[in-house]
Amino acid sequence: MENTKRRAAVKILILGPYLILLYILQSTVFTHIELFGAKPMLLPIAAAGMALFGGRIQGGVFGLFAGMLTDLSCNQPTVEFTLILTFSGLLIGVLSDTALVQGFPSFLLTAAAELAVCSAFQVVIPVVLRNAPPAVLAGIALRQCGSSLVFAIPFYYISRFLSRVISR
Amino acid sequence: MKDFFSKKGIFIAAAALLVAVAAAITVAVTGGHAGFASLLSEPFFKPVKSAMTSLVGSLERTYDYMYRYDEIEAENERLRARIAELEREYREYQEISEENARLRELLGFAARYEDLAMEPVSVIAWTASNFSSSFTVSKGSSAGIELYDPVVTENGYLVGQVTSVTSASCVVTTVVDTSMRVGALIYESGETGVLSGDYDLFKAGQLKLSYLGEESGLVIGGTVVTSGSGGVYPAGLVIGKVSGIAVGSSGLDPYAIVEPSADISDVTHLYVITDFSVNE
Repeated sequence: MENTKRRAAVKILILGPYLILLYILQSTVFTHIELFGAKPMLLPIAAAGMALFGGRIQGGVFGLFAGMLTDLSCNQPTVEFTLILTFSGLLIGVLSDTALVQGFPSFLLTAAAELAVCSAFQVVIPVVLRNAPPAVLAGIALRQCGSSLVFAIPFYYISRFLSRVISR
Repeated sequence: MKDFFSKKGIFIAAAALLVAVAAAITVAVTGGHAGFASLLSEPFFKPVKSAMTSLVGSLERTYDYMYRYDEIEAENERLRARIAELEREYREYQEISEENARLRELLGFAARYEDLAMEPVSVIAWTASNFSSSFTVSKGSSAGIELYDPVVTENGYLVGQVTSVTSASCVVTTVVDTSMRVGALIYESGETGVLSGDYDLFKAGQLKLSYLGEESGLVIGGTVVTSGSGGVYPAGLVIGKVSGIAVGSSGLDPYAIVEPSADISDVTHLYVITDFSVNE
């Protein structure tokens, strides 16, 4: 029991500042950086990594907070990222516990899938609600996924390292 | 001793006398400026003396340097501190100068709109979204800012509108965002329309002025200003200039492409219009 509490405290102490750092980077530095004509989204990639290496509980909880911070950094009152990242974190965690090998190909696949789901929601909502042109939005979504996946390699190593530190 | 005085002594005394005589003759010949010894020794000792003088000079300088090292270091430190202070003063001067320029612009803008109440704000963060254009500014409801307050530059160029407020900050959605709608008119022709963000023009930072009449008389370079209709924006705020004319997919709805006058992607200091009188 004592050991479980200590582990939870270690997780909070490590992942809390990590999330805050990512949020600050996402909403300050990376709002001024465009790759392939789009700003990279760091928090969804980080969430995929923590879910893959930490399992469903860690994935879900990290996804929840990462999603809230992504919504916050996008200045949007809706909670689409909160929901998407929480559920995708849980799903990736389950897949990691059961089917996926914890290597770079799995990480790249899950991160790309998570970004694709996020981008799909960002495209579908305006298309349905505001009659926005789907082709234009799909182009932005593709560029967003591409610019975010540029950071897959560093996030793979960061996520793996942090998960190992936590699980010790 | 006896021998010394008898032989060597006499010889030495003679030599001394000889030297004295020679010196006296030399002094007499040179007019008292140089002695015999010096004339004799100068060719041999001059290089040595020069070398020694040079060496001593070097040693003196080294000694001075060693002796005054602390003093020089302290002076160096003082000069460094002075440079840092001057650099800081220069930066402050530049900031004050920039602020002064902004305030002068604002003064000119405010003189045209005496009824406006404005709150200066700074941009603290831009949105991370690739699908919208908004930013967070440094003041909120505690500074009297309310939802839908217009936001302008110091020149009075419209930048956007407050779309979310907390007590300490607020989110401003810019005019290029696709959710924005502003009643506008072309200043030169008086033609009215609706200015809105457009997904096709969004990335280029441009706007779409639509719902124009067929004989709209659109002119490239025409100034687009707020019409004031609806009471959300004061009339006459400059939004931008017509940079192109296009026709919608139906072929029947001409619209103007508008380039915002404010450099929206680079704004830092802005003014939220917290109150103005509506003349409708």
